[in-house]
Amino acid sequence: MRMKIGIHGLTSCYGCQLKMACIEEILEVAKNFEIVYWNMASSKGEIEKVDIAFVEGSVVTERDEEELKLIRENADALVAVGSCAIHGGVQGMIFGEDYEEIFREVYGDSLIDYEAKIGEPLRKYVEVDYCLPGCPPEEHEILYYLATFGIGSYPEEKDYPVCAECRRQGYPCILIEKGMPCLGPVTVAGCNAKCPGFNVACIGCRGPVPHGTAWFDSLARTFKEKGMSKEYIKRRMEIFGKQYEKLDEMIEKVFENED
Amino acid sequence: MKIEREIRNDHIARIEGKAGIIVEIGDEIRARINVTEGPRFFEVITKGKHYDEAAAICSRICSFCSIPHKLTPIEAIENALNIEVSEQIKMLRQVLYFGNMVESHALHLYLFVLPDYLGYPDAFSMAEKYPEIMKHGLKLKNFGAMVQEILGGREIHPENAIVGGFGKLPEQKKMKKIYDMAKEAINSAIATVDFFTEYEYPHYVNLARNHLSIKPYEGYGVYGNEIISSDGFSFGIEKYKENIVEEVVPYSFAKRGKYNNEPFMVGALSRLVNNAKLLDGKAKELLSSYSNFLKEDNCFANNFAQAIELVYFIERIAEMAERARIGKQEAIEPEERNGRGYAVTEAPRGLLIYEVDVEDGIVKYMNVITPTAMFLPMMEIDALNMAKGMWEDGYKDVDLIGNKVEMTVRAYDPCISCSVHVIKL
Repeated sequence: MRMKIGIHGLTSCYGCQLKMACIEEILEVAKNFEIVYWNMASSKGEIEKVDIAFVEGSVVTERDEEELKLIRENADALVAVGSCAIHGGVQGMIFGEDYEEIFREVYGDSLIDYEAKIGEPLRKYVEVDYCLPGCPPEEHEILYYLATFGIGSYPEEKDYPVCAECRRQGYPCILIEKGMPCLGPVTVAGCNAKCPGFNVACIGCRGPVPHGTAWFDSLARTFKEKGMSKEYIKRRMEIFGKQYEKLDEMIEKVFENED
Repeated sequence: MKIEREIRNDHIARIEGKAGIIVEIGDEIRARINVTEGPRFFEVITKGKHYDEAAAICSRICSFCSIPHKLTPIEAIENALNIEVSEQIKMLRQVLYFGNMVESHALHLYLFVLPDYLGYPDAFSMAEKYPEIMKHGLKLKNFGAMVQEILGGREIHPENAIVGGFGKLPEQKKMKKIYDMAKEAINSAIATVDFFTEYEYPHYVNLARNHLSIKPYEGYGVYGNEIISSDGFSFGIEKYKENIVEEVVPYSFAKRGKYNNEPFMVGALSRLVNNAKLLDGKAKELLSSYSNFLKEDNCFANNFAQAIELVYFIERIAEMAERARIGKQEAIEPEERNGRGYAVTEAPRGLLIYEVDVEDGIVKYMNVITPTAMFLPMMEIDALNMAKGMWEDGYKDVDLIGNKVEMTVRAYDPCISCSVHVIKL
C-alpha cells in the first residue's frame, strides 16, 4: 500500500511547495505516494488521516493555527518544511515588536475581519517530528526525505553548518579573506554552499544549525573584528535567526564592554 | 438581502496562496474574493536593512515570481544610488527574468489551468490520460528552471543576482546549454498555443476594461520606466502614486488597486493588448493567425496571451544566449550611499512597482505594489459576472457555477502571497 501524504501551506511565499512541484521527475515521484491533500496542486482532497504531513509556512492568522492543529491531529508524523515553518521565516523578524503599531502603519485604521499576529514557527503550536530546512529546500533533500519515509525509515536532519560544505567544496573563505558578512558558520548545511560559491555572503536563509549549536557569538566576534557595527551584525543575523532563543544574548556578550 | 443560494469555497485550489470566494445569490447577486493569507509586512521588515539584504528579503515575497521580486528592488536600488550596469549585465538579467516568465507561465497553464479544461482535479491525474500534453508542460517548466538556476544560482530565491550585477557570471558553455534547450523547448510552447486556441471564452465575463502595462525599453521586454494604459494615457514610474490608488476592504489582507478610480487589468493579456506590435518571430506569426483569440474584454484571453508569451520569451532567450560572449566583470559597488529610486517591471502576472529610499546604504523606506493587488477588484467583477450570467441564463447547479467562477479567478493567475506582503500608500 502506498504511503499517504498531505502537503500544506500556511503563511509563506509557497516556495517550498513550489520546489516540491518542480522536482524534475515529479510525476514519477508522485506515483509512489498517495497524495491525499495538496491544495496548491489539486482541487480534490480534504484534511484527513495521513502517514506524513508536510507543512510549509509560519502561523500568522487564526486560520493558520486552526488548520495546523487539524493537520497535526490527522498526521502520524509532521514535517516542518522550510525556514518559515522551522524558524518563523522573514515575516517572523518583527517578533518582540509592537504588532498593533506595525499593523496600523500598514493598514491604517481600516478594519479587517480576520485576526493576524506575528509569524511563529510550527513548534510553538504543535509537536513537530521532523524538520526539512531550506528557503526553499534543495531537490535532493526533498527526495531524501520522501525516499526514507517511503521505505519505512526516517530522515536524519543535518546538524553541521554551510561552512563545512564550503570547505569541502574548496571555495576560498569570503569571510576571512574578503571580510564579507557570511553566515555560513551558523547556518544549517544542505545547499552545498551555493552562495559562497558564487561570491555572495550566506544570508542564513536555511536557518540556524539545530541542537543549540549555532554559535552566533563567535561569529559576531569575527564580524566585529572585521569592522562591522553591532547594529549591522544584529540586523543581519535577525533576518532568518530572529527567533533563535539565545541570539540577543550572544550578540550582547560580544559587545558588552563597549556600550 | 435574503440569500437563496450561496457558493462558497474558503480555499481555492490550484492558485498560489490562500484566498476564498463567496457568491451570494438572492434578490441580487454578490461576489467577493476573501484574501485570508496572513500579512507579512515586507515594508516594515526591510526597513533598517542594508540594501543588499533588503533585496534578498524582498524575493521572499513570492516564490513563483522570486526573480521579479529580486530584480525589481535591485533596479530601484540602482536607480536610487545611480548605478549604471553594463549591457552584458542588462542582457543576462533579461535572460534570467524571461526564464522566470517561462517557468511561471508553464506552471500556471499546466499545473493550475489545464486540469479545468480537461476535467481533472489536478495535473497528476490528468497526466495519466494525457501524458503527451504534460510532457510539454514539464519541458517548459524544466527549461525555465534551468535558466534561473544557471543565472540566479537557483530557481527560487536567486541569491546570485545582486545590486551591481551578479555574484558570479555564467560560464560560456552554460549559455550554449541554454541555447540548445531553448531550441528544444520552443515546440512545446507552440503546442501550448495550439491547445489554448481549441476553446472558446465564456461570454459572461465580457466587459470593457483598462489594461496597464509598461512601455518596454526594447522589444516586448520586461524593463521600462513608463506605464501605459489602453485608454491612451501614460505616466512615468515616479508618478505611480498619483495614478494607482490602493484601498483596504474588511474581507482582505491584500490591498486593492484602482486606476482613475476604476478597476483595471494587468498581466499577459494587458501586455499583449498594449504591446502586441512589439512582438516578433514565431510569436508574432502565431498571434496573427490566431488574432481572434486576443479579446481584450475577456479575462480568459489571459491564458492564450501567456501561451503566446511562452513562444516569444523562449525565442528571445535563445537569441540572447547565442549572442552572449561572457566577459569577466565584477559587480559594481555604488559610489553614492543615498537616494530615492523607482522601478517597474513586468512580472509574469503584470506590473510590479518598487520604490525605495536609501540613506547611508540603509533602506529607510520601501513600497511595493504587486500585480495581484492591482487586478483584484477587476477579478472580483469578472467572478461576479460569471456567476450572475450563468444564474440568469438558467444554470442552477451551484457546483458548476462555482467551478466556472474558480476558472475565472484562475485565468488571472493570482499570486496571493504577493498580494498580502502588504503595502503602504
